[in-house]
Amino acid sequence: MKTLALGSLLLVLATGADHLLPAVHAAELPQEPAGNNVPAEIESFTLENGLKIIVWPDHDIPNVVMYNFVRAGGRNEYPGITGLSHFFEHMMFNGTEKRAPGEFDRVMEAAGGSNNAYTSNDVTVYQDWFPRSALDTIFDLESDRLANLAFVPEVVESERGVVFSERRSRVDNDNSGKLYEQVVATAFVAHPYQFPVIGWPSDIEAWTMEDLQSYFQTYYAPNNCTMVFVGDVTPDEIRAFADEYLADIPAQSPPAAVRTVEPEQLGTRRVTVQAIAQTPQLHLAFHAGAASDEETLPLEMLLKILVDGESSRLHRTMVEDEQLAISVGGFQSEGFDPGLAYFYLILPQGGDASVAEARLLELLADVAEHGVSDAELSKARNIMLADFWRGMATIDGKAAALGNFEVFHGSYEKLFSLSEQIESIGNERLRAVAASVFRPANATVGLLEPLADNAMGEEQ
Amino acid sequence: MSAKLACLLALVGLAFSSPLFAQDVNLPDATQVELPNGTVLILVEKHDVPMIGVQAILRGGATADPAGKGGLASLYAALIEKGAGKRDAAEFSAAIDSAGATLSASAGMEGITIRGDFLSRDAGLMVELLADMLQRPTLDKDEFEKLRERSINFLRAAKDADPGDLLPTYAAAFVFGEHPYGNPVSGSESSLEALEHADLQDYFANQVGADRLIIAVAGDFETAAMQTRLRDAFADWRRAVEQPATVAALPRQPGGRVLLVDKPGATQTYFWIGNVGVARDFPRRADLDIANTVFGGRFTSMLNTALRVESGLTYGARSTLLRPSQPGSVAISSFTRTDATVEAIDMALGVLGQLRDEGIGDEMRTSAQNYVLGQFPTSLETASQLAAQFALLDNYGLGTDYIDGYGSAIRAVSEESLNAVIDEVYPSGDELIFVLLGDAGTIRDEVKKYGSVTELSITEPRFRVLPKEE
Repeated sequence: MKTLALGSLLLVLATGADHLLPAVHAAELPQEPAGNNVPAEIESFTLENGLKIIVWPDHDIPNVVMYNFVRAGGRNEYPGITGLSHFFEHMMFNGTEKRAPGEFDRVMEAAGGSNNAYTSNDVTVYQDWFPRSALDTIFDLESDRLANLAFVPEVVESERGVVFSERRSRVDNDNSGKLYEQVVATAFVAHPYQFPVIGWPSDIEAWTMEDLQSYFQTYYAPNNCTMVFVGDVTPDEIRAFADEYLADIPAQSPPAAVRTVEPEQLGTRRVTVQAIAQTPQLHLAFHAGAASDEETLPLEMLLKILVDGESSRLHRTMVEDEQLAISVGGFQSEGFDPGLAYFYLILPQGGDASVAEARLLELLADVAEHGVSDAELSKARNIMLADFWRGMATIDGKAAALGNFEVFHGSYEKLFSLSEQIESIGNERLRAVAASVFRPANATVGLLEPLADNAMGEEQ
Repeated sequence: MSAKLACLLALVGLAFSSPLFAQDVNLPDATQVELPNGTVLILVEKHDVPMIGVQAILRGGATADPAGKGGLASLYAALIEKGAGKRDAAEFSAAIDSAGATLSASAGMEGITIRGDFLSRDAGLMVELLADMLQRPTLDKDEFEKLRERSINFLRAAKDADPGDLLPTYAAAFVFGEHPYGNPVSGSESSLEALEHADLQDYFANQVGADRLIIAVAGDFETAAMQTRLRDAFADWRRAVEQPATVAALPRQPGGRVLLVDKPGATQTYFWIGNVGVARDFPRRADLDIANTVFGGRFTSMLNTALRVESGLTYGARSTLLRPSQPGSVAISSFTRTDATVEAIDMALGVLGQLRDEGIGDEMRTSAQNYVLGQFPTSLETASQLAAQFALLDNYGLGTDYIDGYGSAIRAVSEESLNAVIDEVYPSGDELIFVLLGDAGTIRDEVKKYGSVTELSITEPRFRVLPKEE
């Protein structure tokens, strides 16, 4: 991530990045005829160089948001260049053949805009938020860094320090981050999802100028990007700017496919992290599906029932009733390739991780055997409906949702037709996906074990 | 998880929240009424999505926490979610979650804020749950004991997580001392331990009531119908027995002091450098917002440019102003690898010196004005944001011009007005107080040059060094 908002434990897990994909799913938009819920004002077009651009005019405020989804992330890395996608994200702000390092941000902020970016296992996403008066500036800046990125050796070295500092904050000095990194690296033995998106320390220190140049050539091609504009614009003006600024950037050969398929897991895996700590932690990961798999949506609904809110099964049982944990959360990664369904718990000081683990597995087995109640099913649907509308309340949420559906589900239009799918998913689908995913042989168990000599007695 | 923890740990809370302002968008029309019992209702229609946002502020907050019982308001806010009206804790959370809604309470320094959003079809449920939380909390003893224990463990867990999150809490305790702004809103492990169930019952009996309440709702409803719902639900509530605590202003504190919080094994030092700053009613806030944007409030700020962009010492450096009803803090904060601690701190001090000595030039001022104006509209985009803005304005007795007139105030900022505000608000080098969190064994000696050093272990169950007599 280019910059982070300080203050969220969960952001640590965002280095694994999947939860950054907003939990936005569709509901029917009112005032639209049945069967075609796609708002008529959304338009999309593809330039000759392969760059697809989606535009959703929304004149509620005089601002615009731009998302550029680049199909490059941790899954495109290998030993020696782990973390390079994320490092590259940083370098996209650090100078071009016509602009000095730092000028991108100075020009954008002076025009009233701000920006950020994030990298996940699958994609690198660039975001600009700006007043419509800055539209021309934004196109100029974005096209310049796509066409003319330059690498200044001193800046590369300096940026290594920035990224290592980011790693220290998210991973090395945060016990949740430490454990998450080890669990993911244990859950995958073959597929590149095993690599931390931030990169292993030795790789952060070692990647070369040649690595960067080759990466840029391969992945930062217009045919490997999808842009979304939402806000106080018209499709015609975006088309005109795109023709002027982006159409001349040449297409490249598509990147090589990621061939490795993670083999089936044949038994429970365990990993322990010993650290100075007052509170133990328990993580539990199961192999699950890719974003586009049919069982991903039922699993998402199931996760709402298991961990969303204080009435959720795991929170109610493990935190409130039995006090085995002080917090429980969970998510599934929804990427191009099959990822993980992931649970993370913080235990009270002195808490017994083996008891918590056994209870967690028992609760998941219960869902696999008995499914969920009608009330829980209805709750999951309502949560997803409300989350959809929360996303639709801002131009930023709209851009994120359109882009994620286009990139991970094949078309932005699907954002508006999921309500029928959600309604059609019943208890048996949820039970079946639980039975197929929540198997002990499919689990990786991670334990953060407080170091005994620093077990921090209570001082009164 | 993170939201709860963030609420618990929020030293800042509503009193410190600092909205952005600009000119090109104005506040929409609102209906505001005051009920005979003193409750203020603010209603704003916004129909773009079928949701309603609510923000209620109950004046008071952690400044009234009794000595040794820090965390009382915070725990009270958490406990009113654990059963109210006819619902026990499980039923209350199920009512919220089943509707796909959110509704949660958290304490700040000067108030308890309840935030939520509901699908518009559930407007009735929203008002019912809000009224129950405020007027009819169960305050169950078992729930209280569970929550107290969990809150203590949340603090322990926070000390195992990103240390930057706790730095402002340590800093407030060190700078403000026994002043109410020095008490962590969340309490400390030891002060939470001292809380008893009767303290929470007393809080409800004395500190809570209709005359302390502001309810702002915005979203997809009809004003007349919503007003009737709220009036029916709140008109009969009692007034609070006590008046909210008043807080005296603390003057700028002596500089040249260092608090070193020891986290053995930390590979990075997190630092906070500052002193007492200015209050919410600071008259030249546009100048100050521009000054802070340039100094440490955006990516290309002077601090971030020096410590991150040009030197690679850190992932981020910023300056922060907290402006509650009395002067809060003004501070620089950042972090760097342990062996670069002094290099990074010295660099930050150099940037502060540059700001104070050289001021801010035309080009940078204009850039910051454009930036503040350009980003402002996104702070008034959603129903929930509007509810929060209106509630905040009423809470501080500010008119709508505080927002609607802000754009022109930003445009009017001049070189002279900007440099005057820098002189007044940003401490000089010898006025600085340092709060460092890291591996004390490694940096202890070299940070002595910043002043007299006081040490505190991160596992100490409190955020301040105990006075000798305890």
